[in-house]
Amino acid sequence: MSVLLDVHNVTMHFGGVHALTEVSFDVQDGEFLSLIGPNGAGKTTMLRAITGVVSPQNASIKLAGQAIERLATHRRAALGLAMTNQIVRPFNSMTLRDNVALAVGHQRVATVFRAITAINRDTERKKAGELLEMVGIGDYADQEVLGQPLGRLKRLEVARALALKPKLLLLDEPLAGLNHIEAARFADVVVGINREGLTVVMIEHNLGEVLRVSDRLVVLDNGRKIAEGEPESVMRMPHVRAAYVGKEADHAAA
Amino acid sequence: MLFLELLIQGLIYGCMYAIIAVGLTLVYGLLRILHVAHAGLFTLGAYLGVIVTNATGSLGLAIPVSAMCVGLVGMAIYRLCYQPILSKPPYVALIASIGLFIAMEEIFRLIFGPYGLTYTQVPLQSPLSLLGMSLRMVDIFIVFGSVAMLGLLSWLAQKTRIGIAWRATVDDPQMAGSFGISVQNVRYLNFFIGSALAAVAGIFISLLSNLAEPTMGGVPSYKALAIIVLGGLGNVTGTLIAAVILGVVEAYGTIYVGNLLDRDAIAFAFLILVLMLKPQGLFSRK
Amino acid sequence: MGIYELSLATIVGINIILALGLNLITGYCGQISLGHAAFFGTGAYVVALMAKAGYPAPINLVCAMLITGGIGIVVGVASLRVRHDFLAITTMGVGFLFLGFVRQQDSVLGGEMGLSGIPSIGLEKPAFLMLVLAVAALCTLFSVYIKKSWMGFAFDAVATDEDTARLLTVNVPVYKLTAFALGTAMAGLAGGLYCYFTRFIMPDDFGFITSISVLSMVAVGGIGSVPGVIIGTMLLTLLPEMSEFLSDYKLFFYGALLFGVMRFAPDGLAGVGSSLRGMLKRSGRAV
Repeated sequence: MSVLLDVHNVTMHFGGVHALTEVSFDVQDGEFLSLIGPNGAGKTTMLRAITGVVSPQNASIKLAGQAIERLATHRRAALGLAMTNQIVRPFNSMTLRDNVALAVGHQRVATVFRAITAINRDTERKKAGELLEMVGIGDYADQEVLGQPLGRLKRLEVARALALKPKLLLLDEPLAGLNHIEAARFADVVVGINREGLTVVMIEHNLGEVLRVSDRLVVLDNGRKIAEGEPESVMRMPHVRAAYVGKEADHAAA
Repeated sequence: MLFLELLIQGLIYGCMYAIIAVGLTLVYGLLRILHVAHAGLFTLGAYLGVIVTNATGSLGLAIPVSAMCVGLVGMAIYRLCYQPILSKPPYVALIASIGLFIAMEEIFRLIFGPYGLTYTQVPLQSPLSLLGMSLRMVDIFIVFGSVAMLGLLSWLAQKTRIGIAWRATVDDPQMAGSFGISVQNVRYLNFFIGSALAAVAGIFISLLSNLAEPTMGGVPSYKALAIIVLGGLGNVTGTLIAAVILGVVEAYGTIYVGNLLDRDAIAFAFLILVLMLKPQGLFSRK
Repeated sequence: MGIYELSLATIVGINIILALGLNLITGYCGQISLGHAAFFGTGAYVVALMAKAGYPAPINLVCAMLITGGIGIVVGVASLRVRHDFLAITTMGVGFLFLGFVRQQDSVLGGEMGLSGIPSIGLEKPAFLMLVLAVAALCTLFSVYIKKSWMGFAFDAVATDEDTARLLTVNVPVYKLTAFALGTAMAGLAGGLYCYFTRFIMPDDFGFITSISVLSMVAVGGIGSVPGVIIGTMLLTLLPEMSEFLSDYKLFFYGALLFGVMRFAPDGLAGVGSSLRGMLKRSGRAV
């Protein structure tokens, strides 16, 4: 198996806060990796460093062997990186279908000359419909984003990310705000996508689902990596349990 | 000597800009609105100051009366103009505010005429010699008055319950609300204080030039907008420092760069330069 | 049509071109600009200088567009560093910079007194009006085309949520600059036409009030809506002229109108239009 994402020595601080300190890990092609840790451990910051939304003071990040730490976010996206947000961010000026269609047609907007000469959106809108079907919300394709329930918007984010035909999908707390049943269903959708061959890195607090679906875990606490490995063995490690005690026990119980 | 004169001049204007800008940044910090109509309140304050001084002969009475009245008008403007459109995109409040400002300027012109009002006898004009420069009492009055008011404001913000409630509301309105703070009352207070300060600044300008006229709010308000951005939108201390810096930069700028740009453009050139280097302003929001 | 009506119609046409340009920048791409008049002025001054130097009108107008668009890109670079309210004030500052610069250049640009004696474009008033209206129509078609194209799609994403747009591979900086380039070039064209119209320009024609006027035309019409902007422009250009008996109260009513529309109908005329359509649809079903 080859390494798809190689994250090496990422250090990030804002003001006086050390969000990440020399965090390194890699992600194998095709695997389902979950990034866990108590609140404030730096997990979201890590994802943002990978996508380029924040610029760490120090980092070496390689996607399929290519160094991306100096590239702008849109370049990284074009190279095959897709992310969904913890707090959903659909384009609320568009319908669900159009949200996905833009992503499907991302090649059309790669340069302004291509964009100004291309008018037809039919192919992309059709494909968008198919992707929405795949994540289970095809019926709502032509509705406006405003007023949609959270579960549907989360699936929209995934459909939109998939439309980019990414090599790597990053998910930031995709199950947050979903009830027990919705969370299990949504996790299954993601697992299905992973089985088709898409590498997934997920941040999640819902440890029940995490343990069920992940191939491997990486644990962060206070900006440092404190453990990694198979889910069962990682959760048995005493220092991992200690990091969680009092902070996450409630989530795991839920 | 020129150096010192320019510095003093810069400080005086800086103080006035500071008083105007503080009101603007208070509103922005709380509501994220660029309250251009603030300039209209500034002008109203000047008019009231002149009218009351001429009627009673007492500047000491005119200042608080004007501040009080304008403060109340400010509160009304919040309630009637801004509150209903808080949830709309920012350009809505901006254009509404601009429309209001234009209408206010016109009202002054229609009621009092285009040439404005003057003092029958301008207070505080007695000359004063300081460090070899010839100033007037009004210059000292402005500097000390500004410092005193800002000091009072600072004390209010730090040491009183009202001030703490205000700061909590700026930081996190929902949390403040759940602590029993009336967010609405904080907003009223915000507008009252900011508008009252604008009124006093208006009176200061009217004392310097012996004139209160309809368009006097325009230029100071544009500069005040530049200042609150420089100071880091919503950051009161930053705004004060930026105001003084701008006053001084302008004073020197007109001498050294005056053949290239006029006075107002200098302020904005400085702003743009700073923003390109520090996009959040000189001191970003705390 | 009398001379007065001809002139009025010409001004409306010029304002439409100007407003559609701003609509591209602010309406389509979401970059607020409070300094649009600076580009209007740049176009006017370019044409004034070139016409006085003896160059023919078509060359002058094209140069006005290119030069203004180029400066627009430079200003657009500023929009990459700052957002929203910071951008609003920065563009306002650009407007004052333009004004401040032009006012001080007495020798070449005529300073405060401006430039006069600009040669005629060689068309009679009615023919000139036709030219202006033709250009306005072209700009309208262009705007509608952009909206339908994938560029319009990308603009919409940038305007709505630029960070998410980046995650979807949209090169946000390039799109912002493109919006500025196109929108300011239009403003430059409008400025050039204005110059041939009045044959006398001065800095005060291109001040902050003008920038606000154009923004108001766009906002009252309905930001992003081409028909809305056209109607809004017509309204705000013609209304002050029509109320002759109100002539002294013109500006007051203008301010009141701006305030009123934003306070009571913030989506502008386009918003009112779609509400009405919605109401009619619903009542139609009930019947």
